[in-house]
Amino acid sequence: MNDAVPASALADHAFLRGMPADDVTRLARAAVAVRLPAGRRLFDEGAPASKCWLLTAGHVALDLHMPGRANLIVETLGRGDVIGFSWLSPPHEWQFGAEVVESAEAFELDGATVMVLCDRHPELGYQLALRLLAAAVQRLQATRIRLLDLYAVPSHDAGAR
Amino acid sequence: MSLQAVPAREATRYRAAETHDTVTLGLEPVDDPIAPHRPGQFAMLYVFGSGEVPISISGEPGGPGLVYTIRSVGAVTRALCEAGPGELIGVRGPYGTEWGVTDAAGQDLVVVAGGIGLAPLRPALLAALAARERYRRVTVLIGTRTPDDLVFAGELETWREHGADVRVTVDRAAAGWRGHVGVVTQLIDRVDVDPAATLALVCGPEVMMRLTARSLGARGVAADRIRVSLERNMRCGIAECGHCQLGPLLLCRDGPVISYRRAAALLTVKEL
Repeated sequence: MNDAVPASALADHAFLRGMPADDVTRLARAAVAVRLPAGRRLFDEGAPASKCWLLTAGHVALDLHMPGRANLIVETLGRGDVIGFSWLSPPHEWQFGAEVVESAEAFELDGATVMVLCDRHPELGYQLALRLLAAAVQRLQATRIRLLDLYAVPSHDAGAR
Repeated sequence: MSLQAVPAREATRYRAAETHDTVTLGLEPVDDPIAPHRPGQFAMLYVFGSGEVPISISGEPGGPGLVYTIRSVGAVTRALCEAGPGELIGVRGPYGTEWGVTDAAGQDLVVVAGGIGLAPLRPALLAALAARERYRRVTVLIGTRTPDDLVFAGELETWREHGADVRVTVDRAAAGWRGHVGVVTQLIDRVDVDPAATLALVCGPEVMMRLTARSLGARGVAADRIRVSLERNMRCGIAECGHCQLGPLLLCRDGPVISYRRAAALLTVKEL
């Protein structure tokens, strides 16, 4: 299913919440609603990156190809998340792969169309940049927390107890 | 609450391996049993010849015997994890405050566990599921290091069958893992929360509890609707020795379960 997206539906997505109505309406021109069955690969590492998705249901795994082994899942994303930043900046290639783990629904945005809209309407570009930055920061912070390895036995606990 | 200073003897009834370093022990009284526990409380377990450690009670309130889930992190916990059938263990308690899960009656209950933090939450969750009709949504979010480090893995499906929305996320996926990968706070963003009618019970490493409370706060859940379980160096269990002091609190008496409104300021003070 690929359906045009009413601006009101797009405005309800967590990623776009609070965006001025005019900007959402413009963005809706670049969006289609898609259903993504479990097992579908959204993209592969190294392939040209031209889209992003705003997930409304299900979950999608970002993975990394490991030669001779199954793909290694680095993170899963779900409702309210945005998938795909690589279309924004050179070399415009996916840095990871992505596969639908649990049947998903999303608003799919065409990167080239979004860039044209942002060039014509810098205020839309500003609104999008703010949100993409917030999502990237959130992803970075989550990665830092995982690096802390919080659930390992703290060294000060190893002893008499 | 018993203030006993002398342990009651209990015998190991069963030992179930949860993970490579964590076991669940079921004990049965040899002497007079200790008082019934409330979800969230802990007991002091004494391994004769090794020492005594505080361990949260992970068994069902009112269930047969006492159940403890123990991670081997040192000499005493290692001895507990290796306790064979019939081995005698000294038990004092139960001590401390409870989760107060019934305060969520008529509301949503959100249980957020990190690692072995699921153990002290299990009695509260089982109590809620035993009276499922009294609660609205019951959501259980579990973060763990790897799929192999998940405790009570065999029970999750039963919890789901009893009406809980149970989600697990791991820091590091293994081959074949089809669940979530990421920190537990990310799951909070993906579940339905009615902030004005939610009670959240959170247990895990302190950093994880702080970040979880922050994420719940961002969803609109007030700090006094979030309860955390804190751990310090509990020794006497009866607020006499002061080893478990955290600012104005003696956690063996005033905790382990306290409101995040009270805990928040204490958790960011260095050397407290």
